[in-house]
Amino acid sequence: MSAFVERAYVVTLTIPDNEAFTALTTLARLGLPVETAVRSDIWVATVEAGAAAALDLEVATIETIYNPNKHRLEVREDAGPRPGEVWITARDETPAITVAGRTVAGLRGIVRRTGWRLLDEGGGDVPPDVLAAATEQFLCNPAFQKALR
Amino acid sequence: MTPRVAVVVFPGTNSEDETQRALASAGIAAEIVHWSRAAALRSYDAYVLPGGFSYEDRVRAGAVAAHDEAMDAVIAGANAGKFVIGICNGAQTLLEAGLVPGTGPARRPTAAFAPNASGKFQSVRVHVRLVVPPERVPALAGLAAGAIVPAWASHGEGRLAASAAELETIERDGHVAFVYCTARGHRVAAPNGSALDAAGLVNRAGNVVAIMPHPERDAWTFMHRDGDPEKAAARGNTQAMLAPSGGMIFFAAFAAGLGVGAHR
Repeated sequence: MSAFVERAYVVTLTIPDNEAFTALTTLARLGLPVETAVRSDIWVATVEAGAAAALDLEVATIETIYNPNKHRLEVREDAGPRPGEVWITARDETPAITVAGRTVAGLRGIVRRTGWRLLDEGGGDVPPDVLAAATEQFLCNPAFQKALR
Repeated sequence: MTPRVAVVVFPGTNSEDETQRALASAGIAAEIVHWSRAAALRSYDAYVLPGGFSYEDRVRAGAVAAHDEAMDAVIAGANAGKFVIGICNGAQTLLEAGLVPGTGPARRPTAAFAPNASGKFQSVRVHVRLVVPPERVPALAGLAAGAIVPAWASHGEGRLAASAAELETIERDGHVAFVYCTARGHRVAAPNGSALDAAGLVNRAGNVVAIMPHPERDAWTFMHRDGDPEKAAARGNTQAMLAPSGGMIFFAAFAAGLGVGAHR
């Protein structure tokens, strides 16, 4: 029986992100000291170890996920948020078994999350309490979402 | 004195005109007030938040609008007992603002209209039934017990979601104002998978109502589906075709709550 591994595909706009800017405006209204908000679409896949490399290539060719003209794609072998990040996910998320409608050999399931990273004036991560406040007051509605930090 | 009613518009709202017309037909001379006139909103006596996609549903449907300065006046007004109605995106905004079910602090939502169980945007004609005593909802004082309102459910995020404990509170304390039903009023499973089959919520005081389906999209005879008996009977009769009907009872009920107007 094959072993499964997790892969995180972190897709971030390289062109101006209007949604992140709108979020930044709301965070400012909340009085939080955030200079830049970086938003990412994150796809977390569980895949047979031997099929992971093929999935990496597959994801990179699906333009509804990643368009090299406007996105940066980071493939991570650790499938959780890193320090300074919060990932928002639905509490009742159901993994899909196709990627944007494509069947991929060895894929057991894939879920979509939204990643946020908030930066201060110096370009560094905001303090954890600021990220927590932004999450609790705005980025996550705990009634149906959970925040992974 | 005639109450001043504001139809509150955010960037991306798209149902303000038909909502205003439905209100006018019910006898309410409502004004459309854009978010950029936030300070002016405080002088109004009641608020209607129409449907659309405020702020393009960025972050979450209704989340950005809920934190907009314009909502300061709406929240203050609701807390002072003013009537507030939210339809579709307006309803989502009221939940994000914490005004309904109203079991937590402002802008700390305890429930949500989450993505439909289907994962897709759905647009279907529905009926919803008032399931609380009419006196529980002063904002819709004109509705009879068990009133059935035809409307269009047209949304991607209309599934009531909350923790099990919160859903118990919502049900126990009568915060579900409307459930999905057949044209004859028999309760049916929500087309979007909404918990408690909820189509609309009301706060504790009954002055804030959030309803997902659009009654204004079924408010005149010509808007009814082909095959609808009322519409079929109106064929060839312009006056009958343009007559208020169906979802108009929702707006007439709001007018009654405000103590104004009648159909015209």
